Amino acid sequence: MEQSGTSALLQGAVQDLATDVVSALRGGDHVRMSDTATADDPEGSFALAAVRVLGADLLLPHVLFPTPPAPGALAAFRNTVEAFPPRADAAPTVRWSHWAMRRTLVRFDSAPAGPPGADDLTEPDAAWLDAATWQVLTHQLAVLAPLAVPGDDCAVTRAARRRPVDVARGFVRAVRRRDWQQAAGAGRWLTLLEAVPDTLGLEAGLDFVELMGGNDPRVALQVQAARVMRAAGALV
Amino acid sequence: MPSVDKAIEEITHVRTDLEAALDPAEPDGVYRDSRECAALALLSADTKLLLSPPTPRPKKG
Repeated sequence: MEQSGTSALLQGAVQDLATDVVSALRGGDHVRMSDTATADDPEGSFALAAVRVLGADLLLPHVLFPTPPAPGALAAFRNTVEAFPPRADAAPTVRWSHWAMRRTLVRFDSAPAGPPGADDLTEPDAAWLDAATWQVLTHQLAVLAPLAVPGDDCAVTRAARRRPVDVARGFVRAVRRRDWQQAAGAGRWLTLLEAVPDTLGLEAGLDFVELMGGNDPRVALQVQAARVMRAAGALV
Repeated sequence: MPSVDKAIEEITHVRTDLEAALDPAEPDGVYRDSRECAALALLSADTKLLLSPPTPRPKKG
């Protein structure tokens, strides 16, 4: 499918951000961002949109290696949450990815006025996942991979916990379809789930996904996140 | 003011692309080729034999 110029630029900006996050996950470094972007001009809107696409994973290194994020990165994150609230008719993944960002902001933001919406972290509805086929479930979970964080509970996490075999089947399907981003996201979820079949060979599977799709920083991010969580014994 | 119009148009494009990026459709599947099968075999200790040369047989005569 042909992409618009803006779309290609946005994807490039997201990949640049993802590269920074992978680097931070590998080396425990900070994610660096300018805090001057606003949604009122094209350049700033573009930068914040890239943060919105990457979502809560922008600050993942600071969640997994508990360290405070750099002020610039935190400010850009906060500006993004404020600039791109989900519309009333937004898809569930859009609502949940925004909710994940707000939850992450509450974790780190100690500004005197508090983060936007800190007093109302009501979860969006997750019933659509219970009704989803295993293929759709895996695709949606992969899109919402930033919610796969050890120790953080929400309705999406609970839906994934109820269907570990379905997620495992979805992981294998994604590998066979060469959908490395979906496979990496599903693999990250599987590191957090109990009762994943041993026959899946998750560790070798993640190695394979990285080998085949690791040139894409968004794939590398999910694989590296899964590795860090596994190394920390993240299994729920 | 063309520059303002252009800015508004660019921001609108960004928001449209953002919606698509946050709720992406599943891409069409592309199935494995032999290069990937070989890579998978290399990763699996149990399947090394697949990549081994045939066992030498004694020469006749």
